[in-house]
Amino acid sequence: MNAANVAMFAVVIGSIVVFGTATILALGWAFRNGQFDNFDQGAASIFGPDEPVGEPTDAFPK
Amino acid sequence: MSSVTVIPLHDRERAAAERASIDGSCRGPVLYFTASALFWLLAGSILAIIASAKLHSPYFLTGIPELTFGRVRMAHLQAVSIGWTSMVTMGGSVWMMCRLCRTELIYPKLLYVSATLWNIGTLLSVGGILLGDGQSVEWLDAPPYAPPFFVAGLGIVSAWVAATFRRRREKHVYVTQWYILAALFWFPWLYTVAVFMIFWSPATGVVQPIVNWWFNHNFLGLWLTPVAVGTAYYLIPKIIGRPIHSYYLSITGFWALALFYSWAGMHHLIGGPIPAWLSTASTVGSMMMFIPVIAVGINHHMTMRNHFHRLKYSPALRFTVFGAITYTWVSFQGSIESLKDFSEVAHFTHYTVAHAHLGAYGFVTMIFFGLYYYMIPRLTGREWSSSTLIRIHFWCASVGITIYFVSLSIGGWWQGRMLNNPDVSFGNITRYLLPYLFSRTVAGILLTIGHIAFATSFVMNLAGWGKKRTGGPTFFVEKVA
Repeated sequence: MNAANVAMFAVVIGSIVVFGTATILALGWAFRNGQFDNFDQGAASIFGPDEPVGEPTDAFPK
Repeated sequence: MSSVTVIPLHDRERAAAERASIDGSCRGPVLYFTASALFWLLAGSILAIIASAKLHSPYFLTGIPELTFGRVRMAHLQAVSIGWTSMVTMGGSVWMMCRLCRTELIYPKLLYVSATLWNIGTLLSVGGILLGDGQSVEWLDAPPYAPPFFVAGLGIVSAWVAATFRRRREKHVYVTQWYILAALFWFPWLYTVAVFMIFWSPATGVVQPIVNWWFNHNFLGLWLTPVAVGTAYYLIPKIIGRPIHSYYLSITGFWALALFYSWAGMHHLIGGPIPAWLSTASTVGSMMMFIPVIAVGINHHMTMRNHFHRLKYSPALRFTVFGAITYTWVSFQGSIESLKDFSEVAHFTHYTVAHAHLGAYGFVTMIFFGLYYYMIPRLTGREWSSSTLIRIHFWCASVGITIYFVSLSIGGWWQGRMLNNPDVSFGNITRYLLPYLFSRTVAGILLTIGHIAFATSFVMNLAGWGKKRTGGPTFFVEKVA
């Protein structure tokens, strides 16, 4: 196996390990952190007192 | 009609001031990214018209080596993929991340460096290709001196988005943030690995096209798609003032996309000299993509239910919903195209070109137009100055991409049927395609007219020609009766 093939395998295997681990860690963190506990609250998190649920925020200029 | 809770004025003012401060912190860099992106969209549009015209009028602009079809087509692809969509992806990601994290952007001046590096890279890429330095690897046709600028520029943006996330005041991670974080984690890896394995330390033989198409497909799937879908998940609920129909479904859709999209690239090599299991696995991955696409489609539709009349009033919503609907359609089509029987006809024809443009323009670009229409007034503090220009932009873009898609899909399908028939000569197939290729040029001109209207609106807004709102930092609030 030449150097280019070794480098290719290192990249592929390394990527699988790094991304697999990152995915598992991200999912684990999200569960521990309660990100998936309350979906209704999550959906409403983009709204605030200035732009509350029920108020549209865009229109053609008059 | 949704019930509206009465909110104390001081709470409303405090939240509005916080949002205005966050928008203000990223104003400069985001406007730099978006203005640059728009420039590359216009440049890419002109290159596209030249390339398209040459297909039905081969004597158009002959005698100029810089404007031969091969170079112009590659330069167009770089201008719109690296210049336009990628710069909006980065600028929009920074803005949405700051808003969703409820935190100001730190050290914004470094993002100017990032955008400048990206612009230099794109200029070298487009200019180098026109001068004959392009490389014969589709989507990665930038000359060898351009990628270091992209890697450096992208590295800064990814680091800044991660830093913003770490400083967040909002504890909940909204689905849009999942998409943005994933895209800015995946793409630097995707790009660096592809450049490494094709140019810097070239893999041998058939591995090169495998890496090439793994990159090409994932450029859309793991870079543009996550940010565009994430943008729709932010804009649609915000604009109509209604939370996502099913947040559970949105999270399921994200993780399904993360699991299956990266398999799909090999369906571009069906029938090619690659191991059969590889293209079969890719077809399976493409079929599994029905899961996230159906999840997103149901969610967007159900969120918009009973609010479709608002498409009449909101420019940002109109573009975003057009893009969201197209996402469902183009993804279904993509999954079907991965089937080997279907590929026998559609592969290597204009049908694939129509599909690619439906994805990159009808879905991604239309959602990004929606993002501009929502984001820019909040950054500059001014409303759009002309409804007419917005309407011209929308109708040119939507009619243009429809003509493009329909003409090339029909022409491409029959092209594939005829190519599979040994009794039909290649010359006859070429002549048969002429009206469809001419329609493509007409569509390209329509799209470009829309882009000029859009750029005019953008420049007028930056120049301060739009009406300044005096009612506080929240713009375009439609009065609810």
